[in-house]
Amino acid sequence: MTSMAARLRSIPSWQITLGAALLGLGFLIAAQLAAQGPRVRYTTQERAPLIETATQLQQRQDQLKARILELRGQIQANEQTSEGSAEQVRQLNDQLQQARIAAGLIPLTGTGIVLQLQDSQEPVAPGADQADYLVGARDLRSVVEELWAAGAEAVAINGERMTPTSAVIDVGPSILVNAAYLAGPYQVSAIGPDDLYARLSASPGFVDLIRTRAQGFGIQVSIAEPEAVDIPAFAGTVTLRYARPEPSPGASP
Amino acid sequence: MRRRRNQLTIAAVTFLLGVLVVVQLRTQASGAAFAGLSSQDLTVLVANLDDRNDQLRTEVATLEQELGVLSQNTARGDVSVDELRADLRRVRLYAGIDPAMGPGVAVMVRGPIDGSGIEDLVNELRNAGAEAMSIDDVRLVPGVVALGAAGAVTLGARQLGDTFTLDAIGAPDKLTGSLTRPGGIIAQLSATQPDVSVEVTPLERIGVPATDRQLVPSHGHPRL
Repeated sequence: MTSMAARLRSIPSWQITLGAALLGLGFLIAAQLAAQGPRVRYTTQERAPLIETATQLQQRQDQLKARILELRGQIQANEQTSEGSAEQVRQLNDQLQQARIAAGLIPLTGTGIVLQLQDSQEPVAPGADQADYLVGARDLRSVVEELWAAGAEAVAINGERMTPTSAVIDVGPSILVNAAYLAGPYQVSAIGPDDLYARLSASPGFVDLIRTRAQGFGIQVSIAEPEAVDIPAFAGTVTLRYARPEPSPGASP
Repeated sequence: MRRRRNQLTIAAVTFLLGVLVVVQLRTQASGAAFAGLSSQDLTVLVANLDDRNDQLRTEVATLEQELGVLSQNTARGDVSVDELRADLRRVRLYAGIDPAMGPGVAVMVRGPIDGSGIEDLVNELRNAGAEAMSIDDVRLVPGVVALGAAGAVTLGARQLGDTFTLDAIGAPDKLTGSLTRPGGIIAQLSATQPDVSVEVTPLERIGVPATDRQLVPSHGHPRL
């Protein structure tokens, strides 16, 4: 009888363990199946090596960008300790700092807004194009253009600074900005005047964008007005290969 | 005996659990970002990433060289005024503070085009490696955008006419090719805005003026 009682006590403990483990297992199998079933299924054999290559290239890019920022920091520190004709060097360093800010090479913080765009959750209407329900490069470009027009002074998409050479293009259902491949949700951060939000929402172009994309296809747009907006530095190439400085200004052929 | 079987069952289930946790995490880490991309999209993506990483590598090399010269000067006790000037010229040229000159294309646009059509052209040129651009002598820098319906397009503070020239410095063949390729931006424009004609001329030498815009923000300050 005593052994029976002992068994009764011991059974629940392993059953609970097993039960909990099986529950976890069930969740994971479901999650795994859901993760493997994207919107469209593709043959896995040819995709696997491509995904691996893309992942490696993306990691390599992150390292290169970090290295660029590190080197720029070291160059700047070195330039600022440069001695000699102190006044001349000081002036040059001041000009360099202003030029770097203008070029987007310095991270900024200030007043502004952050817009978030997310793919639509609505079912695709019969006969409609599925791509219309996704956030596209054209959507992000429109938002950025409207922000500039509303008085923004610095803009970044998911941390990618908008510079004079920034392009925003579609790659399948996702988006390439500068050198980086971005996936949604997309956050467009902008530094600008206190009334940036008011100016943006008063723009006919922005109102039109919201009407066609948010109301028309269910693209989710939300706007936040944090106390301070941080915009990172551009971690890309500023060395031009074809353009050269022109001694006399404005001499177009 | 029974106890042993229980233990084995639990061991087997926990093992499977562990494997699935790892698989799931890996799927989410790498696969999720690329979910929904076909093999064709992935090929384009890989080519793009490869190309752009090369550009970043070149920039790293340039910066390493620059830092090397600066460090040598400092070690020798020399002043680096020449290096400071060169750095300043490079950054000002990129930012659009100084006028630029180089090979490129002149894109002549005639007809009632809308603001987003112009921005599509500009974006396409940037994607093809355009380094400096202007529309009718207005340098295109961040903040200068073409907006509005056809016939009422503004470029910054300025009204844009029905005929204008978009100048871009870069590799002329690459810039021309990206605009004129089948299914490219000009083909798309002629479908959506048939009254607009776009003519691309490769040039060995083209000038782009400096911006007259204040590029240093007044509402943001450097973050340390």
